[in-house]
Amino acid sequence: MPQEEMEAAGSAGEKRDQETLESVRSVVFKPSISLEEKRFTKVAGYDFNQGLDLLGLLDSLSGTGFQASNLGDAIEIVNQMIDWRLSHQSPTEYCGEEVRNPAYRESVGCKIFLGFTSNLVSSGIREIIRFLVQHRMVEVLVTTAGGIEEDLIKCLAPTYRGDFSLPGASLRSKGLNRIGNLLVPNDNYCKFEDWIMPILDQMLTEQTLEQNVIWTPSKVIARLGKEINDENSYLYWAYKNGVSVYCPALTDGSLGDMLYCHSVRNPGLLIDIVQDIRAMNGEAIHVDQRKTGIIILGGGLPKHHICNANMFRNGADYAVYINTAQEFDGSDSGAQPDEAISWGKIKGSAKTTKVHCDASIAFPLLVAATFAKKFHKKANTNTVC
Amino acid sequence: MSDEEHHFESKADAGASKTFPQQAGTIRKNGYIVIKGRACKVVEVSTSKTGKHGHAKCHFVAIDIFNAKKLEDIVPSSHNCDVPHVNRTDYQLIDISEDGFISLLTDNGSTKDDLRLPTDETLLAQIKDGFAEGKDLVVTVMSAMGEEQICALKDVGPK
Repeated sequence: MPQEEMEAAGSAGEKRDQETLESVRSVVFKPSISLEEKRFTKVAGYDFNQGLDLLGLLDSLSGTGFQASNLGDAIEIVNQMIDWRLSHQSPTEYCGEEVRNPAYRESVGCKIFLGFTSNLVSSGIREIIRFLVQHRMVEVLVTTAGGIEEDLIKCLAPTYRGDFSLPGASLRSKGLNRIGNLLVPNDNYCKFEDWIMPILDQMLTEQTLEQNVIWTPSKVIARLGKEINDENSYLYWAYKNGVSVYCPALTDGSLGDMLYCHSVRNPGLLIDIVQDIRAMNGEAIHVDQRKTGIIILGGGLPKHHICNANMFRNGADYAVYINTAQEFDGSDSGAQPDEAISWGKIKGSAKTTKVHCDASIAFPLLVAATFAKKFHKKANTNTVC
Repeated sequence: MSDEEHHFESKADAGASKTFPQQAGTIRKNGYIVIKGRACKVVEVSTSKTGKHGHAKCHFVAIDIFNAKKLEDIVPSSHNCDVPHVNRTDYQLIDISEDGFISLLTDNGSTKDDLRLPTDETLLAQIKDGFAEGKDLVVTVMSAMGEEQICALKDVGPK
């Protein structure tokens, strides 16, 4: 090829390369809008050079990203639930003198509903729940049958750590029942049976002799909390502090087995779920000007029952879900707060978040940064007088 | 579980006990058991091993030996149940009174007149017809828990 032609070809090739490079650059290096730091938080995790500081670590969650950020948001929302007072909003036109009183308005807080599945009571989360109920930090609990009996049984005999991989047939032959990586010996349920049967007999007597006693799941639960009389039990504290515990499916657990066996030997005990749905929905309806907040661990019945009750007041004002369920199958368990908003179970203006995490990890952290933090702050500032 | 109270009726055998205790796990089909104070014959037993429902349990389905009603009970297999003493005695039929009482000849020659006609229709018809025809009849009286009833009939006359 002659020299000039080669140079021309070379520069044409160069020009093509330049053009290609420019178009690639414009795609790959698309100029970004600048994120206003007021609206967008910078990502930064906890710096362990600061030392081992629990509250510092919890504060860092918001900026860590992914579900840690969601947990950080949940902490923020729960703190709002705890801090809200009626005095934060102006009185309605038609409310009475007493309700206008600033001191009264300052004393009225948000009503918090806590829902959780039974497996969490089998786990150490039971102790976290007990702390909340012991100090009346939540007002209404909703759980399933196991959530009741596992708490009572732990006062009679302990649950042990096991492993997810322990073979079922081998466990059955040894009389061990597996809940995830926890083990509950059959013997624990035998102790539960021996404990509860005389109580059921007594309850039947009270129903048939004292005509006014109509048992409902929540009344049965309050009675069991009274009878267990053990400060380790959250049901004991619920009874003592007047925290209502609702469990419409009371028969779906060992409690149901006990009711079944009891009814064969000594039939007649009636448990009225209609009265309890009146009471449960009433918990949401009869709140006057108070706001409501819902904290739900897991899915299933507790999640829906609480959301549904709040529908009767056109939605909860604050909602925090902690669960591992997914929405792709259309299940209620996996449904995010926005789905509940479509039903009117959570207000459109509500502060909500879902933390996609096993509650056994997320809930202790959540309580540490909210209820426990305020409790211990208050304890430290209380003067002795 | 509280033991059931035994109501001893003031009938003939005052000294002997009406029932004896037996571990629930050992009571089999076709055995006898007391359920809600009634003497029953067991038609079905199923056991469930110790588990979430507590102690291992025996589920009994039984028929009241006197009125044929079906009764059920669930008992922990290690607990004791009451088992009725069920006796069968044969008596010769002497007479049927107008108000439905039966006169029977006992072993020692005296009469036993406190039994009513049985309620079972087949048996009732057999007794009435057989007696009307002047047949020699021997009835089997089943007794348990202070209650008695004719449960069978035999024709002992010449063929």
